[in-house]
Amino acid sequence: MNRDEIMHRLFRAAADAEPTAAEMPFGFDTRVLAAARSAPASGGIALLARRIALIALAVIALAGIGTYRASISDSDAMSEYAMADNAIQNNLGE
Amino acid sequence: MDNDEHARALVDRARRGDDAAARELIRELYPLVAKIVRGYHSRHAAEEDLAQMVFVKVFQHLDQYSGKAPVSHWVSRIAVNTCRSQLAAEKVRPELRESDLSEEQVALIQNLAATTAEVAPDQKFAARDLVEKLLATLKPVERLVLDMIYLQERSVAEVQKLTGWSAAKVKVSAFRARQKLRKRIGTLI
Repeated sequence: MNRDEIMHRLFRAAADAEPTAAEMPFGFDTRVLAAARSAPASGGIALLARRIALIALAVIALAGIGTYRASISDSDAMSEYAMADNAIQNNLGE
Repeated sequence: MDNDEHARALVDRARRGDDAAARELIRELYPLVAKIVRGYHSRHAAEEDLAQMVFVKVFQHLDQYSGKAPVSHWVSRIAVNTCRSQLAAEKVRPELRESDLSEEQVALIQNLAATTAEVAPDQKFAARDLVEKLLATLKPVERLVLDMIYLQERSVAEVQKLTGWSAAKVKVSAFRARQKLRKRIGTLI
């Protein structure tokens, strides 16, 4: 006998004997709402961690921009010093 | 739930803290969640406890419901994921031997092997019990797929919508599960 055929007949019979639709147990909705309110959402910590990471990234980005601008202004100042120094040297030479 | 608009309205009201709407939502979705939970045939957690875990997650994440999918699909995906993670710990699956079957189930399987006739109406509950024992030997995903396709008589497309899995995953899981059951039935004949 084909096992596939046996399995299909077994499943057909089992499907016909499906238990009646489950009725909601008494007080189930009250228990669910109480549990949902008392237990913190599992995503809460993940959400907090994500926010902290975003703020940290923003701080790093701002610090990076600040450092870059400072380095540009430093190099400008350096070139100004070099020009002044060069002019003084030229004047002294004359 | 047939009327998705009604369900969406209940979700909106529940989000605003309407207790009556939340209770109505639980009442309407309970049969759907109970069916999924039952499909997993958990040996450790009671159906009611698993259903409660599902609904708690639904209400904790109610704000995250985007409205793209029907409420029933969103809830069934939460139910599927909750049951899967709950059953992940249940790695040991019982083996089924002939000695585990009742006399009625032994007669049923012998009758199925000897004839091509359908199962007699008075043996259908024994058939149901035997199928549940056979399903308990499978992996949770395989259990759920076979339960939905053969016992709840859903199409692959419906299983996809309810679980969020790809058609390939549903078909491959069903194929593997059928192969395993064929072997198990072979040992019982």
